[in-house]
Amino acid sequence: MKAPISWLKQYVDIDVDIDTLCRKMVDIGFEIEEVDYLGDKISNIVVGQVVSVEQHPNADRLNCCKVDIGGEVIPIVTNDRHVKEGDKVPVALDDSHTANGMHIKKGKMRGEESFGMFCGGEELGITADMYPDADKEGVLVLQPSAKVGADIRTEVGLDDYVLDFNITSNRQDCNSIYGLAREVAVALGKQCRPLETDFDATSNTETDSLVQVDVRNTDLCQGYLMQGVTDVRIAPSPLWMTSRLAKVGLRGINNLVDITNYVLIEVGQPMHAFDYREIKDKKIVVRCANEGEKLVVLDGKEYTLRSGDLVIADNCRAVGLAGVMGGLDSGIKESTSTVLFESARFARENIRRTSRRLGLRSDSSARFEKGVDGYSPEVGLNRALHLICQLGCGKVTRGRIEKRSETKWNKRITFNKSRIRQLLGISVSDDKVKSILTSLGIQCEIEGKTVTCVAPRWREYDLHRDCDIIEEIIRVYGYDNIVGTLMEKTTITTGGKPEHVKFIDKAKTVLAGMKYNECIFYPFAGKNLYSKSQKDYDTSSNIALINPIAEDLTYMNRQLYHNMLQCISLNHSRKNYLLRLFESGKVYLADQLPLTQLPTEENRICMASTYAGSFDRFKQEVLALLYSYAEDLTLKPSCESWLHPGVSADVFMGEEKVAVLGKVHPEVAENFSFVKDVYIAEIRIDAVASKANKTFRYLPFAKFPSIDRDFALVMKEEVAAQDVVDCFTKLPLCENVKVFDVYRNAQQLGEGNKSIAVTVTFRDRNKTLEDKNIEKQVSSCLKELQEKYGATLR
Amino acid sequence: MQEKITALRTQCIAEIRQCASTAQLQDVKVRYLGKSGQITALLKGMKDVAPEDRPKIGSMVNTLRNELEELLEKKTVEISEQEMKRKLQSERVDVSLKSLDEPLGTLHPITLVTQQIEEILVPLGFKVLEGPEIETDYYSFQALNIPADHPARDMQDTFYITDSILLRPHTSPMQARYMEKHQPPIKIVCPGKVFRSDSDASHSPVFNQIEGLVVDKHLTLCDLKGTLEYVAQNLFNKDTKVRFRPSYFPFTEPSVEVDLSCSNCGGKGCSLCKGTGWIEVLGAGMVNPFVLENCGIDSSKYNGYAFGMGIERIAMIKYGIPDIRLFYENDQRFLKQFKK
Repeated sequence: MKAPISWLKQYVDIDVDIDTLCRKMVDIGFEIEEVDYLGDKISNIVVGQVVSVEQHPNADRLNCCKVDIGGEVIPIVTNDRHVKEGDKVPVALDDSHTANGMHIKKGKMRGEESFGMFCGGEELGITADMYPDADKEGVLVLQPSAKVGADIRTEVGLDDYVLDFNITSNRQDCNSIYGLAREVAVALGKQCRPLETDFDATSNTETDSLVQVDVRNTDLCQGYLMQGVTDVRIAPSPLWMTSRLAKVGLRGINNLVDITNYVLIEVGQPMHAFDYREIKDKKIVVRCANEGEKLVVLDGKEYTLRSGDLVIADNCRAVGLAGVMGGLDSGIKESTSTVLFESARFARENIRRTSRRLGLRSDSSARFEKGVDGYSPEVGLNRALHLICQLGCGKVTRGRIEKRSETKWNKRITFNKSRIRQLLGISVSDDKVKSILTSLGIQCEIEGKTVTCVAPRWREYDLHRDCDIIEEIIRVYGYDNIVGTLMEKTTITTGGKPEHVKFIDKAKTVLAGMKYNECIFYPFAGKNLYSKSQKDYDTSSNIALINPIAEDLTYMNRQLYHNMLQCISLNHSRKNYLLRLFESGKVYLADQLPLTQLPTEENRICMASTYAGSFDRFKQEVLALLYSYAEDLTLKPSCESWLHPGVSADVFMGEEKVAVLGKVHPEVAENFSFVKDVYIAEIRIDAVASKANKTFRYLPFAKFPSIDRDFALVMKEEVAAQDVVDCFTKLPLCENVKVFDVYRNAQQLGEGNKSIAVTVTFRDRNKTLEDKNIEKQVSSCLKELQEKYGATLR
Repeated sequence: MQEKITALRTQCIAEIRQCASTAQLQDVKVRYLGKSGQITALLKGMKDVAPEDRPKIGSMVNTLRNELEELLEKKTVEISEQEMKRKLQSERVDVSLKSLDEPLGTLHPITLVTQQIEEILVPLGFKVLEGPEIETDYYSFQALNIPADHPARDMQDTFYITDSILLRPHTSPMQARYMEKHQPPIKIVCPGKVFRSDSDASHSPVFNQIEGLVVDKHLTLCDLKGTLEYVAQNLFNKDTKVRFRPSYFPFTEPSVEVDLSCSNCGGKGCSLCKGTGWIEVLGAGMVNPFVLENCGIDSSKYNGYAFGMGIERIAMIKYGIPDIRLFYENDQRFLKQFKK
């Protein structure tokens, strides 16, 4: 909400500098986004009076002037040959700046000295809304009243600040100059002067002879006031009005339209003016639109309405979209002679819905969305009619049509005085409470322990109960009075982290210990990335956003590795080739789409390394993490399409697949322009956590010695080492099986064969083992290996 | 005999002196003093010495033996010392040489700050909780006193999945979820990702918040300030000050914006705090009784306070990170800097 200081000053005496004012407003809850000094862009420009004008001796198109700039006469050469003796003009002196970015210095023009330059409206950054004739070409001839030598900013209204307040959504009443003036008065401890709202209804016409109003949806339109103006004279508005509107960013149009804008800004009440000629059958109906009803509004576009949209109609058709925009036909025109002013209160939720659905916003809809209170339509209409009279735009009709469904305002809030201390932790004296609340327009009485307040109507959206009143007290009393205490009177509770958070924290620490650096990614991505990292990726089971900010941020991830691949690619492109990265994040798995209930959010860890250099080393790192939690792991070749089919594995914990790991598929690696081999793993850490060993027991050392036996077995390449290991592991006395060599030599072993060498440790925990105890087991195992896998002893 | 002894002595001493290794010494020892060594042979040859000379010769041999043993011992020590010295010399490393591999890995600054705040609050009795990131409209808004089409919804630009399911725009839904199931005393802290549909140098569509909620008897706004001072002083430094400014959130009343005295300049004013000496870091307030009542808590008995802060914002201040996008780019040169 933009508020020029000069406008606020009409209602409250501001006798502090701008910084103090801003600080005091922030202290009572009004954040200021921008402080704009209107004269900021110009400097060293004064009012001068032309003393003499002579033809330039060396240039046909230039004049040499002598100008009085207040006690001093200086030479100025100008190309505006209309400037004449006695004119008062803006003079940019030596070393001055203009609004359009010029830096003026004194110098010679065709041999004649010029100590500066005359300025037009453009150089001053003003339009005719701010000063007469300011949009004409050439030098601006100032009003005769201009004071010679004075700073031009004072003369043309640029010596003013515009404060841009960030109004919180509970303070709809402060989206107006007058609402802010009330708060400025509180901040400075001043009185706020009343709005001038008196007017004389001098027309002979009775309002209800012009029109009948029928409000059919009283829930969507809680108040509808109407009064007319006859004998309308459409004309430009006076400068004081257009100048104020210009400072808040509105252009002057004509007196009638400007008055509605002025009231919107000053009082916060959106007004609408109908051309009476366009209201058929003297009838205004406030009703819901018919489904599919069409309306062309002031912006010239046609909109198709739904039954939830509220319209203002006459007996035949809609003439305006209530609270959003008037119809094109019923707008004010040069020829308008009778006007009907509408000042209404529409339900904010409904305006918001209609405006968003149609993508049609206006100053009026923006204001209604924030909420108009029950006090505002009447004040707004009175103020508008006052201005009609003040500006002499026409004659106000007699009587007023008022349709109200709201009950009379009497918002009484009663509470025990001790609540103040209970909530704030400090005491505020009765006198202070009273004076603060009174300054805010809240009637307040304290009797014994009971505080009784009546909230003013303009605060109906945010003052409901004791805590709201207490907030008013403390924001004015000052939050600096709150002294920190550390919950000395509350109950002792036990803090801590839940198991799964501790589990993931531990995993992160383990990974950092293995030299991995943690990354965090957005949990959504797009088709581009998905198909880059996985051929034929299908997004049909991804949860999709309705309103993504970009196409590549549309789907909630079902895997973490997509982002990780992207990140490696980025790092490689920046010459960070050697990487060990991990992410601990969530994937989002829907049971059913579209979602009818919340999806599963599963915690995962993605690890990636370009250091590892071999599958085996990377596998060791992944398993090192997993073995921190469990021992029962098996690896089987993986069929994930994004991984190298021969260098990837699924990891099972019991029956459940808990991880995949491997080398990135060469095609995928090419898509991402990887410079180094990338090994990557995605771990379902929640699944690991749920199966992790949570209890440990000490196992005594074995008392009896073990026997180690080495076997070298020749078999086909396709046989997995794990199959060989499993064969030995299941022997009753087998304690451990370790593969210590894999040997390939086509000449010795035959094409397509390999030799796997294992050390098998046998032990009986109850007695010393002898060779003969294991021979039978070994030979049956070797037989099984031969039969199942064609493996023979080398 | 005597000459023989003297000659042997001279010869043996010379040999000992020449020894350069323990192996050579051992060799000398065996040759002279071993079972079939020359000195031993002398003793064995005593039977050939005249009986009257035997004590004298015997004593001479024994003296020699002792002398040589002592010499050998001395030389052994000397040589092993030299050998150890050589060994140590040869094994010397250049300790200044940098290791080729990386030092320990690092945790992301968002994780670091989150964990630090948790570690500050847990000892005060706060339970850490995590809630769903994909949330219902009810818990994100309605339960928090933000009805449909309420202007306060403009405070967050929310990502929607369906009409009633969305990406949570703040961590506050956990307040309602927890209060529905638990009666006071409540002390919880909820960290996590949140989502808003805007993006520029200071806004990311994804960022992290940490939410604190306490509901109990005898809880006041002073306690809120005290808790935040405690957090700020532990997170930044013990001189950090907390300032409240009035604000508005639908789920708290009174509501405040919380500024911390600038940790960079100590409140004198610098570029980080834009010369004000204060940095806005979080929003907080006393839980609106509507919210307590919505969740089945008796607002006439209990007060609550709640606060929510942006993790990235704190990390940016604490570590001097200029752009929020750096957090999500994950350039390794960025990540490696956050050694705990």
